[in-house]
Amino acid sequence: MYGWHLKLLRVNLTAQKVTQEDVDPKVARAYLGGRGWAIHYLYNEMDPMTDPLAPENVMIFATGPLTATPAPTGNRYMVVTKSPLTGALAHSNSGGEFPTWMKRTGFDMFIFEGKLSEPMYLFVNEDQVEFRSAAHLWGKDTHETTDILLAETSPEARVACIGPAGERLALMAGIINDKHRAAARSGVGAVMGSKNLKAVVVMGKKNPPLFNAAEMTALSVDTSKNVGADVKKGSNMRIYGTSYVPQVTNTLGIFPTRNFQQGTFESTDKIDGIALKEQYLIRHTACYRCPLACGRLTEVPDGDYKGKGEGPEYETISAFGGACGVSNLAALIKANYMCNELGMDTIGAGMTIAAAMEMYEKGYIPEEVIGQPLKFGDHDAMIEMVRKMAYREGFGDDLAMGSYRLAEKYGHPEVAVTTRKQEFPGYDPRGAQGMGLLYATSNKGASHMEGDVAYEEVFGVPIKEDPFSTEGKPELVSHFQNSFALIDSAGLCVFVALRYVFNKDRMIFPLRLSEMMQYTTGEGYTAEEVLKAGERVYNLERMFVLKAGSTVDTLPPRMLNEPLPDGPAKGMVAQLDKMLPEYYRLRGWDEKGFPTKEKLEELGLPA
Amino acid sequence: MMIHVKLLANYREHLPPQAKNGGVDLDVPDGTTVREALSNFDIPLDDSSVIVVNGLTVSLDTPLKAGDVVSAFSAIAGG
Repeated sequence: MYGWHLKLLRVNLTAQKVTQEDVDPKVARAYLGGRGWAIHYLYNEMDPMTDPLAPENVMIFATGPLTATPAPTGNRYMVVTKSPLTGALAHSNSGGEFPTWMKRTGFDMFIFEGKLSEPMYLFVNEDQVEFRSAAHLWGKDTHETTDILLAETSPEARVACIGPAGERLALMAGIINDKHRAAARSGVGAVMGSKNLKAVVVMGKKNPPLFNAAEMTALSVDTSKNVGADVKKGSNMRIYGTSYVPQVTNTLGIFPTRNFQQGTFESTDKIDGIALKEQYLIRHTACYRCPLACGRLTEVPDGDYKGKGEGPEYETISAFGGACGVSNLAALIKANYMCNELGMDTIGAGMTIAAAMEMYEKGYIPEEVIGQPLKFGDHDAMIEMVRKMAYREGFGDDLAMGSYRLAEKYGHPEVAVTTRKQEFPGYDPRGAQGMGLLYATSNKGASHMEGDVAYEEVFGVPIKEDPFSTEGKPELVSHFQNSFALIDSAGLCVFVALRYVFNKDRMIFPLRLSEMMQYTTGEGYTAEEVLKAGERVYNLERMFVLKAGSTVDTLPPRMLNEPLPDGPAKGMVAQLDKMLPEYYRLRGWDEKGFPTKEKLEELGLPA
Repeated sequence: MMIHVKLLANYREHLPPQAKNGGVDLDVPDGTTVREALSNFDIPLDDSSVIVVNGLTVSLDTPLKAGDVVSAFSAIAGG
């Protein structure tokens, strides 16, 4: 087989038994790989009403056909499972090096079922698979864990693991790979922790064979050249990484500020990419086989926030900076490093603390309950809350449940800025209407990465859309959702894929991506077909989410009812009601958002 | 009339040395367009450039008013 190994490893954690399984080539072709394969298996193998922290929840690690190929950024994997935060689907994506090393084991996918009787890790060295005790690792952070595991397996291996947050089932726990990369959102780390699985270690030499190696290599080289040309011209992603974004969103009035009470932050200059570069940047870093190199190797050399690591990314600056009202960049960087070490999603952690800050300032949560003051801008209190959240210590136990449950518990649900109980990313939808429709309808709850129309609404990539208008957003959002499902199933990184393997039309068209899929797999893929497969994946995910009981597409009260008080979008609210009915119609869903029989048949999905 | 020009991220290096906080005040003739205002700087404008006036996207031939803030950045991918 080409591109795919067409082999999965089924891991029965309860029995500590593994079996190798072949993947049906028809399924492989129709669902592409990665995120697509994962939902096909999840839908067929588990009851969507399952308790996400029970052994019956199935957790899948999935690479794509382009993972471990010459494609630039052909190095991504997905963690797909039912989310304990949202009660809907979790599909978290990560890069680094682990995904390529995982593909080289000779398995495209790992399916984890059941629960280990005690903490263990899985070591997959091609066909040699071992369950090993993690008693000496339980309680250790992700960096220490990774170092110990590499020493006791091989320096040629790579590690994905949970930290104390995942062990303690904190709902913003993520899975950290290669120390600085994360499949972070939706509590996937808690699912892994609920299975007593501390880590997965992978190594091997089985690069997938390519159907047409010469053409695939040539196309990959040409794509990398295009990336390189932009970098040479002066690319913000190379110079600043995603940390250049705060200035952009702040200028447009959509930078989350003080738990979304405002859209502009007066101290953006203190926490933006230029400040980061001038004060703490060592150099850029890259995931395996990426010519863009948007990663940041940073260090705070001394003082209270001394540390070294990678990041912060834009979303981290949004959540720990603007949303918490914090202007101390060193402290923000420290909170970022702590999330990587303790194994937490920076968006979930930062936005939950922001909600707690608002509730403290308004007197909704007494100071004795928190244990100390917790005002916006108090960066030391923020850092202490990060630590407490990971260990579920004191008030951290409340914080660990996320902002929705926190706000509900203390009697003020209107403070939570969430959809499906998941915290918002760094784009205020009152000033970017398409993003509001995206958050409301995404299968994983509020997420920018499920179909990031901010590319057009905010960044003008490939063309600039008016962020204040609702016109044309239903078709744009549904198209982007299908396209991102395609990218996540193929195994590429969005940052390179969106700009370099899609045509530069408003309705981005995956011509070059389909050529890569064809040269890799030889399956006769066309651009229309791979896009259709993206739509198929998206709809099957939707069926899972609906059957899990998560049937309401909406936005939180602050977005629908409280106009932005400042900035270019002053006076605006999210106008979901102007977009949702047309979105359902365009998607071929009924007025309640359920895919119709005709749509399911068209996509070859079970009714 | 006085306007303000902000150059974000890698465009910032095209600002004059007296610029503060990534921006500079500019005294321009009444009716100056966005395009004309930006021609005062050596920015490599291309199809990756995003220009906004008071946070809103407008045509580059739009005439500016006193107090307008023109912001420009290059969007090579997002985050």
